Amino acid sequence: MSEEHFVVIGNGPAGNQAAQTLKEKAPEARVTLISKEREGYYKPCLLPEYMAGKISEDQIYLSTVDAYKEKGIKLRSGQEVVDVKPRRREIVLDHKEVLRFDGLILAVGGRPRIPEPLLVFRDLMMTLKTLEDAKTWIEKISRVDRVLIIGGDLTSLAVTKALIALGKEVYFMLDENAFWPLRCNDDMFQDVSDRLSKRGVKTFYNCKLNSMAQRSEHAVEVRVGDDIFEAGLIGAFFGLVPNVGFLARSGLPLDRGLLVNETLNTGFEGIYATGDCAQVFHPEIRDYWVSIGHDNAKALGRTAALNLLGERRPVDVATESLFDVQGIKVNTSWWMEF
Amino acid sequence: MPKVDITIEVCGMSGDGTIAAGGLLNAAMSEAGFSVLAFDSYPAEIRGFGRCVTRSRIGNEEMLALAEKTHVLISLDDEQSRSRIPFLEKGAAVIFDNKPPSYVGEGHAIPAHVEPDINLFGIPFSDLAAEASGSTRGRNLTALGGFAVIFGLPPEIFRHVIQKKFAPKGEKVLQANLMSFDAGYNFAMTAFEDRLLKILTPPETEEKTEKLLLSGNVAIAQGALDANLKLYFGYPITPATPILEYLAKALPEKGGKVLQMEDEISSIGAVLGCYYAGQRAMTATSGPGFALMTELITHGIMAEIPAVIIDAQRGGPATGLPTKTEQSDLHAAVFGGPGDSPRIVIAPTNVTECYEYTVKSFQLAEKYQTPVIVLTDFFLDNRVENVPMPQASKEALKDGNIYPDPSAKGPYNRFELTESGISPRAVPGMEDFMFTTTGLEHSESGGPNYTPENHMQFSEKRHRKIQGALEDLSIPKEFSKGGSLDVGVISWGSTFGSALEAVQKEQEKGLKVGALKITSLFPFHDEIIRGFMERCGEVLIPELNFQGQLANLIGHLHRKDVVRINQATGKPIPASIILEKIEEVLKA
Repeated sequence: MSEEHFVVIGNGPAGNQAAQTLKEKAPEARVTLISKEREGYYKPCLLPEYMAGKISEDQIYLSTVDAYKEKGIKLRSGQEVVDVKPRRREIVLDHKEVLRFDGLILAVGGRPRIPEPLLVFRDLMMTLKTLEDAKTWIEKISRVDRVLIIGGDLTSLAVTKALIALGKEVYFMLDENAFWPLRCNDDMFQDVSDRLSKRGVKTFYNCKLNSMAQRSEHAVEVRVGDDIFEAGLIGAFFGLVPNVGFLARSGLPLDRGLLVNETLNTGFEGIYATGDCAQVFHPEIRDYWVSIGHDNAKALGRTAALNLLGERRPVDVATESLFDVQGIKVNTSWWMEF
Repeated sequence: MPKVDITIEVCGMSGDGTIAAGGLLNAAMSEAGFSVLAFDSYPAEIRGFGRCVTRSRIGNEEMLALAEKTHVLISLDDEQSRSRIPFLEKGAAVIFDNKPPSYVGEGHAIPAHVEPDINLFGIPFSDLAAEASGSTRGRNLTALGGFAVIFGLPPEIFRHVIQKKFAPKGEKVLQANLMSFDAGYNFAMTAFEDRLLKILTPPETEEKTEKLLLSGNVAIAQGALDANLKLYFGYPITPATPILEYLAKALPEKGGKVLQMEDEISSIGAVLGCYYAGQRAMTATSGPGFALMTELITHGIMAEIPAVIIDAQRGGPATGLPTKTEQSDLHAAVFGGPGDSPRIVIAPTNVTECYEYTVKSFQLAEKYQTPVIVLTDFFLDNRVENVPMPQASKEALKDGNIYPDPSAKGPYNRFELTESGISPRAVPGMEDFMFTTTGLEHSESGGPNYTPENHMQFSEKRHRKIQGALEDLSIPKEFSKGGSLDVGVISWGSTFGSALEAVQKEQEKGLKVGALKITSLFPFHDEIIRGFMERCGEVLIPELNFQGQLANLIGHLHRKDVVRINQATGKPIPASIILEKIEEVLKA
């Protein structure tokens, strides 16, 4: 009989933890971890500090690519899954290689969210989700003096801090869509605005972004309300959306993310979703919730792996730690880590 | 410009255009001003199956040998390329076709096998080529287009070399190839915008010496042409066939003739016949063909007739490994054949020397009236280097014949016993210089003579003559700071580049290590070799053969056993193996 083959898609905290747990608990099984990113496992929340030059690239890694081999996990980095066929128990990679699996854990995380009204300016805006993104920021940042940050999620604040440390002039436009998944009230916005101003950041609050236009290689003309100014770089920070577009034709249950029951199962035997990409059903509230943050993701990754191996462990989330944000229940216990 | 030293491989199935892609890549790199040392390996079968690999070491300093590790792998066939994965350097780039014609199962695509640190660049070679040119045949060019972008090479350089290669095949073929290249280039420009490595961008300001991209075989053929070769006789055999092919086109243009003979025996017979008649003639073969020639080679030795024979060694014995390299004909070249039959054996170590030694071989053959064997090997014959245009000096091109004095009185003794052993040689048609020639032992006049005294005298004459050739043969060249050495590495033929590279690495560390290059294998400069050995604590002799044939030949000159590094894998010996052995010996 051939060995069992477990596939984990995504090398973030959830995917990494899932793969490690699978290998620990089922050492005879073959575990393949597929990641679109080429790097090893790192902590994305450290990217702003890396950008600021406060820490080296080595310091952001939690696990190098070599470590997977030592643990017996086959890491396929820089490889993209383009389709999942749950009934045939197959996944298809971008280069047309088809992998069969006995168990699958989808931990594909999220991608930067750009609100619909701003999509027209997408090409003029940078985000910070991956190490590649951070390197692009580092490459470009030295050539500009002023940066405009639009949005206002936690990454945007960390990036602002990094930019100030680098001696850059920072303009900050607090957007009404900011702080997703948390909806800020006026008091919160005012508080953030005051804090930013104290650090020398020019803030725009309750203003409309009228236009953006590239004027030269390192200058974009921006119109915000009545103000017109130039910025060398523009960063957009509106949280993340689950990266599940490639599953549209798979037949897996999708809403905002992948819908799973309290044991993280997708409804297909042996197929689980975990981490930022999962919307988890909560039997008490009869609704789905999502979770963001490194520690939560790790815990979810472990749960998904254990359940794939035969346990039926529900994700234990107290109802009081779930916040309703724009109609979505969010587990915010991750807040503490910031 | 930062130091560049990278190895690029193109790997595919026979018929994928692997060798063509490698050739274009080498030409482009040379045109860009880099040093190139490249070697192709391909199956013995003509077409349809089997792995083809081109390895090109590219740098901005002289390349002495192939490197063991590969920095870029261009995979035209993932199944075939899997075997190359163990040779990938950490962080290497793999350029592959990410849209094969059909879906493949797990493990049938190269991404399934690479380590996670490998940079994968997926380019839909076939789709792009078909879209651009209407055929997937140009997919190797599409791959090169991607390569050019990723590594920062100007597309004009590639377009120029594509033009040179395909223009003779007509506008349609040329345009199809150019379009395939451009399709790969444009795709990669967009797809890998954020990942471009750009480590091969040629410097714009540096002056470039005009260099020629030559294989060892072409250098040999060109050397023969420049040496005013009149007649070439040969029978096809890998890896010597390219010499026949090159000369078949080029020699008639210079008024010479090329004849494909029925076998190697008739080839050497015809060479001896021509040279007997006073015309420069040459043949080239490989081990099995050389074995057939040995009886007639000794006829040339006995009858004192010049001949130039290129023995392009390959893996043996017998048919052996037709497309693999080996240095295992040394014993056969030096000793092969009946009787005491001294001959001259020389062995170039690089492409430039292939040219120079071929030119020189004619003069040596003529002056010493003996077959001269130029020993090369598959790796040297097929490897490509970009070298300054080789040119033979007037001195090297001079006629080497020593003719009898027309004013001399008395009967002409063709095999006159002289102090040097060289007897002035008349050729048929020279008035008053008629003589008998035979493969039998003979007297000075040429008539058969089997007396003990005569045979002793003439055996001695033949050996004296060949030993005298040492004054015209290249002396061993030492690469050290002199003085006593902890380790000395003695090497010959294509292996020398690896030996020197290993030695240089140790010298950079300040270690007392030296190299000695021997190109004259018979006769050899024993006093110089012994002198070098005496200054060495240990002597290492790396060779591409199982027995250690050079070590057998010269090992006795050392006061203790030499350390043999014998590799019979069919592959060139990497510098790292020699380096490891040096370190091991130093530690001991």
